[in-house]
Amino acid sequence: MRQFPSDINALDKVLSWFEEMNRPFIPQKVWLQCQLALAEAFTNAVRHAHKNCSPDVTVEIEVTLLPQYLEIRIWDFGLPFDLEKQLKNVPETVNEKAEGGRGLRILHQIADELSYTRTDRNRNCLLLVKHY
Amino acid sequence: MNISPVVKVVQPSGILDSTKAESFRKEILNHVENGADIILINFKNVTFMDSSGLGALVLALKTVRAGGSQMLVCSINEQLKTLFELTSMDRVFTIYANQDDFNKAVLSKK
Repeated sequence: MRQFPSDINALDKVLSWFEEMNRPFIPQKVWLQCQLALAEAFTNAVRHAHKNCSPDVTVEIEVTLLPQYLEIRIWDFGLPFDLEKQLKNVPETVNEKAEGGRGLRILHQIADELSYTRTDRNRNCLLLVKHY
Repeated sequence: MNISPVVKVVQPSGILDSTKAESFRKEILNHVENGADIILINFKNVTFMDSSGLGALVLALKTVRAGGSQMLVCSINEQLKTLFELTSMDRVFTIYANQDDFNKAVLSKK
């Protein structure tokens, strides 16, 4: 478990922390997809959930490696957000020429399971499960 | 008489995310305004790109094409490949393995 500042510039720290957990038994493709999902989730938390927060408000990340799959949890202090509803509104295929709107779709594509739930201390937890 | 196309190479580095997206896009647009026929984006020094970086690239592609120029891509690592495949951008961009391949394919054409 590690805390990162709500600062878009902290992405390199998030990525290098994640890289330390890489293990040879995890297929490279899966690892790279999870790395991308983590980056999208972190920047979403900073740019949307913590939009009006000071950088001192932290984003907490936990990565759990299990024999068959891994779990990534990201906690933020943003307002409740209905991820499932939002995902239903994301078109099946993002227009290839569109500039934005890819972050959530990427998360949805990569994850085997994806949820965003209200937890303790007015926090939200994004959970992403990915099988190897 | 053969007139060689004006080629400009843009070579971003490090993490290409929202913090660098705007300056990256502007660099490409400057080349379009200065009359480049072909803009090659060489990604060999980019370690990681997220959807914001990709968004800037797509936006730049539109402007390049609107200006009658071409934008090509080379030297993407496995991470960028993963991003391009997930977003089907591997079908939108012409991607060369490296700058040598680009030179052979594009510049030797007469």
